[in-house]
Amino acid sequence: MARYGMVIDLSRCHGCRACMVACKVENNTPKGSFWNYVFRFEEGVFPETRVSFLPRPCMHCDNAPCVKVCPVGSRHKTLEGLTLTDWDRCIGCRYCEVACPYGVNCFNWKDPKKNRYLDWSDPSLEGVELSHGMPYANPDLDLPQGSQGRHTAGGGRMKGVVEKCTFCVHRLEKGLLPACAANCPVGALVFGDLDDPESPPSQLLREKPHFRLLEGEGTEPRVYYVGGAPPTTASRQIEAVKARVER
Amino acid sequence: MTKEKKSGTRVGPKWGQVTRRTFLQGVAATSGAVAGSSLFGDLITLSPLPGESPKPLHEDWIPTTCWIGKQECGMLARRINGHVVKLEGLPAHPRNRGTLCPKGIAQIQALYDPNRVKAPLLRTNEKGVKGTWREISWDDALDLVAERIGEARDRDPSLFVWQKGRSKAKPLYDKAFVGATGALKLHHGAFCSDAGYRAMEYTIGMHGVMHPDFKHTQYLLSWGWNITGGGGNKYCWLTWAQQLVEARQRGLRVIDIDPRLRSAAHFADEWLPVRPGTDMPLALALCKVLIDQDTIDRPYLTTYTNSSHLLQEDGSFLRDDEGSPLVWDEETETPRPFGSEGISPALEGVYSWDGAQVRTVFSSFKDHISTATPEWAAEITGIPANQIRKIGRELGDNAMIGSTIEIEGHTLPYRPVAIMAYHMSQQELGFQALRAMTFIPMLLGAIGAVGGQFTDLTWKEHKNWKKLDNIEITDTPNITLKGSKYYPINSNNSSLVAHVMKDPLRYGVSGIPEVALLHHVNPLGSFPDQKANREAYAKLKFVAVIDPWLSLTADLYADVVLPASTLEKYEGPMKGTDQYEDAVALRIPPMEPIFDTRSEIEIYLDLCERLGVLNGEKGYLALVNKNLKLKPPYTLPLDKKPTPREIYDIWAKGQGIKEGVAFFEDNGVLLKGAVPASKRYPMAMDTPFGGVVPHRLYGESLLGYARKMEERGAPEIYWRDYTPFPVWRTPTLEGSPAKYDLYLTSFHKIEFKQSRTPIPFVRELAPTQVLEINPSAARARGLEDGDRVQVESHNAVTGETRKIETTVRFRESIRPDVVAMPHHYGEHTKHPWVDGTGPTPNTLFFTGEGYVSNTADQTYLVKVRVSKAPRR
Repeated sequence: MARYGMVIDLSRCHGCRACMVACKVENNTPKGSFWNYVFRFEEGVFPETRVSFLPRPCMHCDNAPCVKVCPVGSRHKTLEGLTLTDWDRCIGCRYCEVACPYGVNCFNWKDPKKNRYLDWSDPSLEGVELSHGMPYANPDLDLPQGSQGRHTAGGGRMKGVVEKCTFCVHRLEKGLLPACAANCPVGALVFGDLDDPESPPSQLLREKPHFRLLEGEGTEPRVYYVGGAPPTTASRQIEAVKARVER
Repeated sequence: MTKEKKSGTRVGPKWGQVTRRTFLQGVAATSGAVAGSSLFGDLITLSPLPGESPKPLHEDWIPTTCWIGKQECGMLARRINGHVVKLEGLPAHPRNRGTLCPKGIAQIQALYDPNRVKAPLLRTNEKGVKGTWREISWDDALDLVAERIGEARDRDPSLFVWQKGRSKAKPLYDKAFVGATGALKLHHGAFCSDAGYRAMEYTIGMHGVMHPDFKHTQYLLSWGWNITGGGGNKYCWLTWAQQLVEARQRGLRVIDIDPRLRSAAHFADEWLPVRPGTDMPLALALCKVLIDQDTIDRPYLTTYTNSSHLLQEDGSFLRDDEGSPLVWDEETETPRPFGSEGISPALEGVYSWDGAQVRTVFSSFKDHISTATPEWAAEITGIPANQIRKIGRELGDNAMIGSTIEIEGHTLPYRPVAIMAYHMSQQELGFQALRAMTFIPMLLGAIGAVGGQFTDLTWKEHKNWKKLDNIEITDTPNITLKGSKYYPINSNNSSLVAHVMKDPLRYGVSGIPEVALLHHVNPLGSFPDQKANREAYAKLKFVAVIDPWLSLTADLYADVVLPASTLEKYEGPMKGTDQYEDAVALRIPPMEPIFDTRSEIEIYLDLCERLGVLNGEKGYLALVNKNLKLKPPYTLPLDKKPTPREIYDIWAKGQGIKEGVAFFEDNGVLLKGAVPASKRYPMAMDTPFGGVVPHRLYGESLLGYARKMEERGAPEIYWRDYTPFPVWRTPTLEGSPAKYDLYLTSFHKIEFKQSRTPIPFVRELAPTQVLEINPSAARARGLEDGDRVQVESHNAVTGETRKIETTVRFRESIRPDVVAMPHHYGEHTKHPWVDGTGPTPNTLFFTGEGYVSNTADQTYLVKVRVSKAPRR
């Protein structure tokens, strides 16, 4: 069985944030919700300054603290290594959000249908069919996923539930890469079966020194980084995107 | 238009990713995972959501070409029931290889944006203030525009001006429409690199600015190249980003020369935080280091540049009776025509001939830069002298002068050092700074060498190579001042147009246009010196704007707005080459327009019909035939108005594609294979450099222009920079009082670069304008991160000051004497994601005399002072 994971090559990343937008379009996330986030960092004092980038999807931890604290079994691990949310079960307690040391969870303070960037109910769009409150809804997100047929791809989300990166579970089932990895213009996001020694991410891990974020937390992330170093307390975030602030 | 599904996984193995096949193998091994088609085919029925009835969904994929940027990436539009739900990269397209930049993906919102101009608009209030509008029919709008254009043309065709921002089908717009109507054409002149283009055309005859041969370059001066946020030469971003990353993986070294490190981020091995506007002295000092350490390519310089030409004391070439420039033949010790068989031209030397002293251009250049020491440049640029020496040494070492490499059976010079430079040429001394920078690869013999310096995507002479050397200076120029005694080397991208419009007689211009058609151009938003542009556009009697959104220019000065389609139209043809692989593509409408918008081609066909210039031998259709290079039997009949699709069908068939436009509707892009070495490397051509020699180290004609300008009474400020070698002088902005103690420059962000559009997905990433400032500079002014500040610019020529308010953002990656603002804020109106996001830095820049020189382009540099904003 494939057990998925991602290797992010920081030596390639331009910090362009195309992965963030690709994720938004693919997963129809509402305004202010970023399942994938690209940090832009600065360190040092002029002229000894360094600038770097760090994409941060959900780590899909093998020892996921969010799964442990979920009181209703909504947040769960799959046999393929994914950490997913069952929207039908989520009660919006936000324990997962508190437990996650990576800050990947986004709570829907608003009805996602009414949080779609533009007013798609404008009369001039008459005749354009809206689904989930927008004209470009991805119908795959409504499909039940996996052998258990659970709603984990994002289509059933509503006000008061937590959402996060699914590694595009609906695309994996079609044999496609997650949207962020498929689109990355510079091939910085390398996705595949970490149990297969010949998969591109496994090869990369063999070839290059790597690290995981907050390794000491014992979360066992399935996202690895090569080609750079982890951020430190000296890393200052620049050009931060204000996410999850609107209520 | 329905098509089969085109693609699964986008990223090929080239970028180190999973291929579709290997990935599917992985999936197949997964128990419980259902592979592709069984789950989601062309026709599926989904479980209904509560309150919805089950409905069949039909999925298809339409290949097309991105509309946002200038590099025209290939796209696949995923449609559900005929509506686009996602745009992805087209895997086959050489420019983007299955990927898209953030704007490319985000533009799906543009297709449906209800804040677009949704029908033709007629202004109902006075101009100069925010518009109030009435929707009118296309017939009424086109009738009115044609009537006003026609009325002006009948009196004098030059009373009608056509101005473009981004033109994506030049044969049909710039050539055919302008040709058929006789309009005066203005280019965008905005965030481009006109000074750089003119410098390259004049110096080495190629169109473009400076870029490397990424497959082979080992050492790159990233000179003002915004690696992570902008495009560089020719492309808006993505192709260079991909090639840079691959080159880095094999060990390319990058030296970043830029006041802001953020532009190059972790791709820079070394950062030279140059003082803005002082690139020329840095280039001249590097030239001196190269010459002093004798890392120069003598055979290239004597054979393919005018370095060996003999100069007389008056600065002109010594010529024979036929007018051919002479070189000193060391065999016969006599002057012989350049390029003569069997001679040994001297690169250096001072000789007596015919009772006078002559010296080679190269000797003269050595004298010219004898004082351009690293210490001299260090004082001006802020880069330590030892660092300049080190870069010079590394350039010399890495150039491997004398080495060759085999490419496709050709033995070619191998000089793996190059410069990437583009927007930075938009500075007061841009033309001469770029000339000086070009001398670096010239001295190293890297022009067109493998791994060396390139400017265009193939080696092809540009018409300006000869034109710019033979300008007839006129006393009666038009508003562009092209060929004038003020700015003889000047494309029609002039930033001076606004100033000429205000006071034409001052420049000997007899009349100004009355009617303007603005094609995706927003001078008030995207050109520097917004105030001058406001005054100029106020003088136009009638303005029609073609734009999908309401630009600031349209809102203030349009009489009529013609709503253009974005992606949803036929357009092209577009080059698809990534400089190594050739391709051609079309834009294919992925769906019907939602609103009452039209493609530019439809607009021009209708306007030409109304103006009576559609048919006939000199009409629009004939000019489309000519400029699309259509040959019988694949030509447009001159008596019938075609649809855009019919035009491209005939064009495609003329290209030998038997399916016609349907080929592009199916595939999006036609791959033409690898660019052969003989088209790419000038020493692999039948005639080296395609005969475009000698490269002009010495600009004899520049000196000639200066003399003619002076003779005709132009003040020194106009001719002082028309020097045969680049001459450094203190830039005009240094004349501002000392209290204007910071340099303001501007930059592009990857979120908006080239976009000209208000797209919420990318607006969310960077919603408002900021002023980047070094913390030490900020604290010295009592400022903390996030403070509201007032930025006041000063015009050192006129004394005028301008003020705006914005928010400071601390950056250690910027020089302490520099502040920077990004573009693409405050350019459009009537959009919830754009209103109130300004101001644009263009409100603070100046473009008049002093702030621009030789080529009358643009300056994105001014002295400012920054202080806490007054409390309200």
